Amino acid sequence: MRKDSVVVMVLILGLLASIGTAAPKPIRIGLQGPITGPWAYEGEMAVNSVQIVADQINEAGGVLGRPIEIVIGDDQGSPRQGALVAQRMVSEGVVAVISSYGSSVTEPSAAIYEEAELLNIAYGATAERLTERGLKFFFRTCFRDDRQGQFFASLVDHVLKVKRVAIIHDNTTFAKGLAEAAKRFLEESPTAELVFYDAITPGEKDFSPILTRMRTTAPEVIYFTGYYPEAGLILYQARNLGIDALFVGGNAAINDEFVNIAGLDVAQGSIVTQEPLPTDLPYPEARDFLTEYIERHGEAPSTPWPVYAADALKVIAAAIQATGSTDSRVLGDYLREGLQDLPGITGPISFDPSGDRAGAIYRAYVVDDLGQLVPY
Amino acid sequence: MLELFLEQLVNGLTVGSVYSLVALGYTMVYGVMRLINFAHGELFMLGSYLGFTLLVSTSIGKLGVVWGLVVVVLMAAGAMAVLGILIERAAYAPLRRSGRLAPVVSALGVSIFLQNAAMLIWGSRYRAYPVWAALDRRWQIGGVHITLMQGIILGVSIILMLLLYCMIQRTTLGAAIRATAIDQETARLMGIDVNAIIRFIFIIGPALGAVAGVMVGLYYRQLHFTMGWTYSLKAFTAAIMGGIGNIPGAMVGGMLLGILEMLGAGYISAAWKDVFVFIILIALLILRPTGLLGERVAEKV
Amino acid sequence: MEMVSEAKELPRRRLIYGVLYLLLLIFPFKAGPYWTDVATFFGIYVLLGLSLNIIVGEVGLFNMGHAAFYALGAYTTGILNTVWGIPTIWLLPVSGLVAGGFGYILTRPIIHLRGDYLLIVTIGLNEILRITLINDPWGLTGGPNGVLGIKRMRLGSLVINRPIHFYFLVLIVTTLVVVVLLRLQRSRIGRAWNYIREDEVAAEAMGIDVRSMKLLAFVLGAALAGIAGSIYATKMMIISPESFTFWESIVLFTIVILGGMGSIPGVIVGSAVMMVLPELLRDFMQYRMLFFGAAMVVMMVFRPQGLWPSKRWQLEMGRETEE
Repeated sequence: MRKDSVVVMVLILGLLASIGTAAPKPIRIGLQGPITGPWAYEGEMAVNSVQIVADQINEAGGVLGRPIEIVIGDDQGSPRQGALVAQRMVSEGVVAVISSYGSSVTEPSAAIYEEAELLNIAYGATAERLTERGLKFFFRTCFRDDRQGQFFASLVDHVLKVKRVAIIHDNTTFAKGLAEAAKRFLEESPTAELVFYDAITPGEKDFSPILTRMRTTAPEVIYFTGYYPEAGLILYQARNLGIDALFVGGNAAINDEFVNIAGLDVAQGSIVTQEPLPTDLPYPEARDFLTEYIERHGEAPSTPWPVYAADALKVIAAAIQATGSTDSRVLGDYLREGLQDLPGITGPISFDPSGDRAGAIYRAYVVDDLGQLVPY
Repeated sequence: MLELFLEQLVNGLTVGSVYSLVALGYTMVYGVMRLINFAHGELFMLGSYLGFTLLVSTSIGKLGVVWGLVVVVLMAAGAMAVLGILIERAAYAPLRRSGRLAPVVSALGVSIFLQNAAMLIWGSRYRAYPVWAALDRRWQIGGVHITLMQGIILGVSIILMLLLYCMIQRTTLGAAIRATAIDQETARLMGIDVNAIIRFIFIIGPALGAVAGVMVGLYYRQLHFTMGWTYSLKAFTAAIMGGIGNIPGAMVGGMLLGILEMLGAGYISAAWKDVFVFIILIALLILRPTGLLGERVAEKV
Repeated sequence: MEMVSEAKELPRRRLIYGVLYLLLLIFPFKAGPYWTDVATFFGIYVLLGLSLNIIVGEVGLFNMGHAAFYALGAYTTGILNTVWGIPTIWLLPVSGLVAGGFGYILTRPIIHLRGDYLLIVTIGLNEILRITLINDPWGLTGGPNGVLGIKRMRLGSLVINRPIHFYFLVLIVTTLVVVVLLRLQRSRIGRAWNYIREDEVAAEAMGIDVRSMKLLAFVLGAALAGIAGSIYATKMMIISPESFTFWESIVLFTIVILGGMGSIPGVIVGSAVMMVLPELLRDFMQYRMLFFGAAMVVMMVFRPQGLWPSKRWQLEMGRETEE
């Protein structure tokens, strides 16, 4: 939040593949992400992941015989910084940009790329609105929030088989979007009924009033779409108030910290709807990528998002290779109409006309008695 | 429905008594120095973290629940009192004669400093107080759910506030504090050591804040370096509601704020809760420009 | 003695200011779009700082919720442009008027509050507005997502979209504002404001309409912040509540106090400190904000009157220490 007010910034130029004098001119591709700031770990993992794919492509002879060079821009997770970085990317003359983590940062950046007619592919921006404005140069390799909401609704109907559902979000862009999507799909459900829907304020500690009110609606399952700090508190306080409904979290709600805050006894049995973790992806590309990642950095990426950034680079490289062009208009048309099931780390990749990725992969995980997430 | 209302009331009083304890630190500093000490919430936060470290990394916890907690609370309170005095010396004492707003910015600087210090010491991840089975008890009395920690928070807060109130009203030291709050120059002429009074205020306030911090840690179990900021704003609101500078006012203001929040969240909407609280605050100040118990003093801005 | 040296200094100082302004005019042609953009955001902060300086610096009213007026301007532009398609160039003054109008309506009932009570109420207004924006009343504000798809300004055939356009837009607006404020400082109104700041009771006794003067300052400050918000909205093309938090208000408040209350150059210096200092401290990595907090304390302890206090303020402070 505080970094938000900082305007001046330093861009980090990631120069790779230092080439001899006769080498062909590299193709420069931007990577915009939160290199510093509250989501610095996401930015770092995204850089690591993209670097691996860039190295792999370059070792195999590059794209159109030219090596790929990654230009890194740090948006600090702030919308204003995002706009500045986007401006910088445009004036640097990169061919395309992988951008960015967080919908509220991605939106202003995407507007600037659109104006400059520069292809940009988001890897961690799931808000529905992004692809509802007819942007011509915006794509994303991650999936939209509503797909997760849909997944939750079908989980309720077909797997959990419960009727009374409560949904709580925290009024952040992401959590509210997911909650609204889940609400919409639940309303179409023949059996399940939404009995409670409200928002909490992130950063607070006492949720007993809203939970006390929720208790009167007797829900069988609580879906919390916000983040883990509040998720842990909500679950713990709900149990203290005598609420024993099943707790289901969105993909930001449940992790080690959640278990730590709620306490293992309480957290056990909670379910999370999320993209498969990189370690659970069944594709051969994923296994190769993970082996390389672990070799370089000692452990697998801890969140789902970095591999979408890696896939974005694969998409850009494939488009340039197939069209023989670095013009964003040509590349964009190709991604919409030409690209079919490109084998990515996160599975086959195609785009629909709005720039969203086709298909969806979500999983339900459950917290086991050791506090680990295991497939439900 | 009545049980539900009573339960919300208990929730509100629990939160409210924490606000009261923190608001006391605000209001006492304000009363004597006319300074809004925005850094006070950070002392509350540091007290909470210190309690966490003492419980997790030392063997104090082995003393048993009662003695273990008493020792932890006393150590955290003592440490924060020392820190409080240091802050006063470094950041506020040099600014006593330079207008009203320079010390406010200085206090904001201290606040940023302490927040980031906590982040460097304890990390930016959330920390959780250890689970203590003996504290994890709850009852249902006439349909109202109450936990042991709620009872402890209410009890300890009320006892501390009564003690403080008696000290201020009944002792010579209390009389000296009241005199200093009314007029520093006159108090000095009357032979009161104003510096000593200010030091004393900076012992009591942070110590109470640290007690509140440890109790909040035990109750919600979750710690983060930004939590001081949230409580700081609430406690300041509470102090203003009661009439800033007024000690019973801070107690009443804290409780009232807690109850308003819980009723707002319980009966209106959790998302609109803070709007509800601030509208009541503004309405209250329009009707009573110096808060509930604030004296109508002509203040020179 | 001082007066004499000051009279000699005046032409030289004018020369320095002239050269500095010339540099500002050349800057975007030499610096490239990125630094031009950075300078534009800096300019928006200067504008905001100047607007708050009227309220806090000139009149001494404690306003720690100034981001509310900034938000009002930005959202006025955003909503009127995206819902009714009104061109953003018209919305620049409209946003100022709306923010100023709200400034009047919101502060009228609370203007009699003193010092710290006013402080918490302005914080409250900031929070009320921010939460309302998040809760998306009547589907107008877009909730936490905010408003997006705000069009650029058009001046005839020129679309204001390049960094250099925005740079000059901000420079022109800021220059106009500075000129007006300088005149205002020396006018009856400016003197009345300062009188209220120094001694409200005496000012009232001298026949100054304290209430109206305070309201005027609030309305003017709010309107200017609204204009800054409008520029911000067309620059970003998207606005969301997280840009208008309590923290933003604190930054603005600190800019005014750190620079020196009531001082126009002070606001510029204050903005520079709040924007640039964290960047200079970047080498300290995670210790950055720690040093920043400490620096705020040190600056206040050694320069409680601000880094570049106004002349009149210096004289007054001097008198006070002599007493």
